[in-house]
Amino acid sequence: MAATFFGEVVKAPCRAGTEEEEEEEEEGRRETPEDREVRRQLARKREVRLLRRQTKTSLEVSLLEKYPCSKFIIAIGNNAVAFLSSFVMNSGVWEEVGFAKLWNEWCRTTDTTHLSPAEAFCIFYHLKSNPSCSCYVAEDQQYQWLEKVFGSCTRKNTQVTILTCRHVTDYKTSESTGSLPAPFLKALKTQNFKDPACCSLLEQPNIVHDLPAAVLSYCQVWKIPAILYLCYTDVMKLDLITVEAFKPILSSRSLKSLVKNIPQSTEILKKLMTTNEVQSNIYT
Amino acid sequence: MASRYDRAITVFSPDGHLFQVEYAQEAVKKGSTAVGIRGTNIVVLGVEKKSVAKLQDERTVRKICALDDHVCMAFAVFTIFIGLTADARVVINRARVQCQSHKLTVEDPVTVEYITRFIATLKQKYTQSNGRRPFGISALIVGFDDDGIPRLYQTDPSGTYHAWKANAIGRSAKTVREFLEKNYTEDAIADDNEAIKLAIRALLEVVQSGGRNIELAIIKRNQPLKMFSAKEIELQVTEIEKEKEEAEKKKSKKSA
Repeated sequence: MAATFFGEVVKAPCRAGTEEEEEEEEEGRRETPEDREVRRQLARKREVRLLRRQTKTSLEVSLLEKYPCSKFIIAIGNNAVAFLSSFVMNSGVWEEVGFAKLWNEWCRTTDTTHLSPAEAFCIFYHLKSNPSCSCYVAEDQQYQWLEKVFGSCTRKNTQVTILTCRHVTDYKTSESTGSLPAPFLKALKTQNFKDPACCSLLEQPNIVHDLPAAVLSYCQVWKIPAILYLCYTDVMKLDLITVEAFKPILSSRSLKSLVKNIPQSTEILKKLMTTNEVQSNIYT
Repeated sequence: MASRYDRAITVFSPDGHLFQVEYAQEAVKKGSTAVGIRGTNIVVLGVEKKSVAKLQDERTVRKICALDDHVCMAFAVFTIFIGLTADARVVINRARVQCQSHKLTVEDPVTVEYITRFIATLKQKYTQSNGRRPFGISALIVGFDDDGIPRLYQTDPSGTYHAWKANAIGRSAKTVREFLEKNYTEDAIADDNEAIKLAIRALLEVVQSGGRNIELAIIKRNQPLKMFSAKEIELQVTEIEKEKEEAEKKKSKKSA
């Protein structure tokens, strides 16, 4: 136990193991049938479903089994999605093949049965298959999402690229965050990824979080070559400079063949930016 | 480590950080971008302007504020909790009162450095009291002193202040500052019009929708503050774009 300045008591984690008192409490917490029913309903509510675009029916197999591809690019977060939409998806014809429907506490809508595709925010396009994921996938849903997208077998011919953003304060360094050249790009790759990264690798402690970490771990276990490009930025909302920080990736093997018209992409990107962003009353 | 030493403002971390002050500096980055340039005979203040909500009275959303007849401030604000626009309002009020009090006491208007020091001292006090948080604002303070020399000062939540030739605060301030470092020359700022263009060009680096989202003000020696209208800014932007095109044409001719 420790007391802070304001007198609050903070329980320090105990490495000696659980105390006896906790064992007594556990006996009182045995599951009733009501508990089981609540748990079942919650699990059903939090189920991740992959649906076909046209028919809105569930995919029977994993996405990559249905649409095998050599390059699988995932963009997580609005800046990464904007980069992909402007620079990659403006060239060539992309077919929307499906979307992932899921609900968790971070979702703004309470109706879980009638989520519209606009709210799902996890849309899969097929040219060389390219999902853009703007929704938050909670920890307990990540494994479901991975299973439904990747399936449970090794994909020797697929190379996975993940793009995402984090706030610069997540970057572990002894320097003050004010002196960091935000936005900047760092990479983290699995053992089987042999190509050179387009930027420097994330230094120790190289910790990543949430869905990108889940995808990377999954790829490492199944020996799929995968690389995560992480942009550390100090502007988390949609921002031109943050999106342009992803530009070095355009020279990577995965994206080189997909990107054709860079000046036009820059124009599309500018249009995507919220030009009519309303003045916040809190921050001036 | 940060999580154990960032709850109270009066607690240093073992490696010497005051995390609340650093978090307050992060909050500044949530505000719009502002740029200040000190020319030979002019000071220019430019701010990114976002559109106001439909039912909101635009007159009440002002970023460039006068402290005294001859001193002017532009704020970019941030905070850890709430009320950053509010922080700015509180500090401006205190500074205005101080300006008048000084005038009545010593019968001279404040110098730019004096009022900057007052504001910085106020901010520093709030980094050393318990139960209070730092002000979540950075400020650019500009004006002319009695000696006719233009001044530009910048303060931040820690209570430090320095004089600058040109600086930027707020969102993407680093990008703007790097642009200013590359393009600020003594020749550029000797001419008033060039100084104005430099400020607009610096803002256009980060303002995503062009001239209509820029607010600009200038002070020339012995003249009151002049706010540029949207038309005047648009004219400057058109000139800048013309110059850019001509420079690019010259470049392509040379390479050919």
